[in-house]
Amino acid sequence: MNECLTQRNVAQRRYVIRMIWCAAGSIVFALVAKIALRLGHLPDAAVYPIAIFPAFPIMAALVVTGLYLAEEKDEFQRQVLIEAMLGGMGITLAGTTVWGYLESMAHSPHLDATWVYPIFWIGTAVCMPFVRRRYR
Amino acid sequence: MKNRLKVLRAERDWSQAELAERLEVSRQSVNAIETGKYDPSLTLAFRLSRVFGMRIEEMFSEDQEERN
Repeated sequence: MNECLTQRNVAQRRYVIRMIWCAAGSIVFALVAKIALRLGHLPDAAVYPIAIFPAFPIMAALVVTGLYLAEEKDEFQRQVLIEAMLGGMGITLAGTTVWGYLESMAHSPHLDATWVYPIFWIGTAVCMPFVRRRYR
Repeated sequence: MKNRLKVLRAERDWSQAELAERLEVSRQSVNAIETGKYDPSLTLAFRLSRVFGMRIEEMFSEDQEERN
């Protein structure tokens, strides 16, 4: 395998390993936050930082994606991912806006804002095959 | 953008995978460029030029539709 292919694989490998850490982190951070909030009578000043604690691995995952885009040597693969993410962003913005109006005007059940992040990635995954097919 | 990559590759008896390896990109990238669905960056165009030993304008040409 030539040096460049190895490098490209390194970028993908790094991405997967970092994402595994982020996923594991989000589980651990969410558990720690839940336990801390359930156990003690914490002052309000402590509740806020603990409540946002589980969001850090999620934000880290976004940074990891940015790092992957910076480290990926294959410009076409970068382009495909960026286009799929734009599609995912569009789906998220459109979907959450529609749901917001449904909530405020048609009394639909409340959608927790923490769903925005998984919706974005599901939207990106849905768009990916369409983007790839466009270039075939 | 039109290109002669498929012909040039066939002349050298290279598969898409072999060209991809020489260019240090994925096979899908080569396919997308060959079919004219993806226009490479200047950096990749120079790499193609080096791999084929030709000038960029000998490999790529402007599409009539793009010109109008």
